[in-house]
Amino acid sequence: MNYFLYQGCSLEAGGIHYTVSLKAVAKVLGLSLKEIEDWNCCGASISYVGGNELSVDVLAARNLALAEAQGGMDIVAPCSSCYIVLNKVNYKLQEKPGLLAEVNEVLAEGNLKYSGKIRVRHLLDVLFNDVGLDKIRSAVKKPLNGVQVAGYVGCQTVRPFGEYDSVEKPLIQDRIIEAIGATAVSFPNKMRCCGSGLFLTELTACYELARDILGDAQTNGGKIVSTACPMCQMNLEAYQKRMNKALGTNFNIPVVFITQLMAVAFGLSRKEAALDRLLISADPFLKAA
Amino acid sequence: MDQVVGPKYGSRGGAGKAYNQSFAREVYRNVDSGEEIKMCMQCGVCAASCPLKEKMDFSPRKIFTLIRAGQREKVLSSQAIMLCTSCYSCKVRCPRKVPVVDVMHGLAHYALRQGYKPRAETALFGQKFWGNIYRLGRIDEKDVALRYFLGHGLGQGIKLMMENKNMGIGMLWYKRMKILPERPIKNVKSLRKMLDKAKAMGKGGAV
Repeated sequence: MNYFLYQGCSLEAGGIHYTVSLKAVAKVLGLSLKEIEDWNCCGASISYVGGNELSVDVLAARNLALAEAQGGMDIVAPCSSCYIVLNKVNYKLQEKPGLLAEVNEVLAEGNLKYSGKIRVRHLLDVLFNDVGLDKIRSAVKKPLNGVQVAGYVGCQTVRPFGEYDSVEKPLIQDRIIEAIGATAVSFPNKMRCCGSGLFLTELTACYELARDILGDAQTNGGKIVSTACPMCQMNLEAYQKRMNKALGTNFNIPVVFITQLMAVAFGLSRKEAALDRLLISADPFLKAA
Repeated sequence: MDQVVGPKYGSRGGAGKAYNQSFAREVYRNVDSGEEIKMCMQCGVCAASCPLKEKMDFSPRKIFTLIRAGQREKVLSSQAIMLCTSCYSCKVRCPRKVPVVDVMHGLAHYALRQGYKPRAETALFGQKFWGNIYRLGRIDEKDVALRYFLGHGLGQGIKLMMENKNMGIGMLWYKRMKILPERPIKNVKSLRKMLDKAKAMGKGGAV
């Protein structure tokens, strides 16, 4: 199974543990992930401040054009924000020939052209639909028996397109959590927004969003929160201490990527699972090889 | 031409009241995705779905109505248009398929271009974010954060850095921060040419 990996900026810095664990898991599952050469930032959800809609479309389109020129395989975006931006623009370009022509006029500045043939997919989609739960199950060497995981989905992992999972009641991450032997706890706020790119600039409002998500996960028995989005991971984990101070709460919940849980269940080392990169240790609940 | 008289809706309503449609026309013409609000039927599902609705001065539904009522100043200086987190809860539930997120972003971009600053902090952060994209083709997380802090002036910048110190040290300690500055992508020059051209061709700020 061959794919382009659109890594995105977060996965090289704040979300590096997503990359490390994803690559280790992909090796076990036989996924070949090739980086798009000379990719650029997708613009995420804050690019509207500096760029008009056409500029933002061009940022995504340049990546799509590069992927098309470099072989045309499906793009896998592990970051939910990259996934949604690339996908949104891709659909627009496929549906509006006028816009595609306009964008191509701009891309010509770099001798690039996009014809609209690329497919953009989220990592969860590929894990569930291409790899499949059976294959994931058969790779498990150390099932995470008894570990209660709150699978936090957030927004852009499934919204707005709902291509591979429900936009109101998504279940795929929970199925993967169960396939590796853990227990997926159900909690109503698993679809609530964490604050996304506004976290740093709208702290007070976003602390409340994070509190509601973590509180709900904990009340319903979650010991670890799992996510498939680097923004959610960062907001819920890295700000937890400061949030406690600001709101008088006392959370100490590890927030990990689904690929980190998979790596542990596949019997990989602590380093391959990137458990050493967590600000809030998951060691009390996860014992890596 | 811009003054039209509202229809008579029963005994109350807008009977005889003059509506100024010039702002609505300005939005349709100049704001990215602005014409999409024509589809809005004021049901309020967007407002009910919004995670930050309580922090907004006007819900998305009210913003759309204010546009139709010609309330230019209220809309362009509204906090709400820059409080959208892009969670798409509104978009998936809108029965008329209004891309509310795109409209809010379009309005915010337009407002900033017209000299309004609905949320100064987010505007500053977004400006530094875009600066990184233009300069490097990618985001260097620590660089954007530092520029954002120092964008408040040196004194306030240092204060903000101190507030965020522990998190920064944590990211460094757990090797989640690149120590070296991010290098520009190989074809950053042609990317800049593309962005310049798109800026000139697109609407999103034309006056």
